Amino acid sequence: MNLFRSEEHIERWLDGRAPGGTIPVTKLAELAEEWWGDRLAPDWRPHTFEQNQAILDRLGLTGGFWRLR
Amino acid sequence: MGEVFGGDTAAVDQADIEFRNATYALFVELGRAPTVKEAAGFTGAAQGEVEEGWRRLHEAHALVLDLPEPAIRMANPFSAVPTSFRVNAAGRDWYANCAWDAFGVCAVLGADGRIETNCPDCGEEIRLEVRRSRPDDESLLFHCLVPAAHWWDDIVFT
Repeated sequence: MNLFRSEEHIERWLDGRAPGGTIPVTKLAELAEEWWGDRLAPDWRPHTFEQNQAILDRLGLTGGFWRLR
Repeated sequence: MGEVFGGDTAAVDQADIEFRNATYALFVELGRAPTVKEAAGFTGAAQGEVEEGWRRLHEAHALVLDLPEPAIRMANPFSAVPTSFRVNAAGRDWYANCAWDAFGVCAVLGADGRIETNCPDCGEEIRLEVRRSRPDDESLLFHCLVPAAHWWDDIVFT
């Protein structure tokens, strides 16, 4: 789970391995906000699979790669 | 990477959740992972209770331990050990477990911050500012190698 300058850097780093999921850093920032924003809340409750999948879906991270199970 | 509460949640009760919340609060207060002794002092629990609670939370993927000690390895998004994802936020330096968690440190603290890492391909330093949850360099890409369904197969690798 890394940051890269460009697709070319990702391809070179993969070195023949199958690519995973690539998203813009702006989307990552949104994802982090939704995923982590409540973690210090006094009334924090563990996220369920369904809640976490809903976050991914809401941000358009759909398809088999982003399915949590 | 984020926590998926997909572990053994059956063994975790409300008391464990409160214990988890106290552990996170102490992590932020100290700026690092608390030891068993520190967590015991903070919560008023015995050290054995801390260890048992942390183990249940580890099994539930609510935090990640280095076993068998046990010592905290990850209180996601924070890393208890140095990594290549450095974050300065809320007046402190932190380590995150990955790029996702680096943004997560700012999100969880509700703070602007600066993220420093390196391109794993060429090694060039990547430095970006996060202001109001937005990166100042929008050209960067995030790549996740492991499919979501397998993130917790080996969370340290993920």
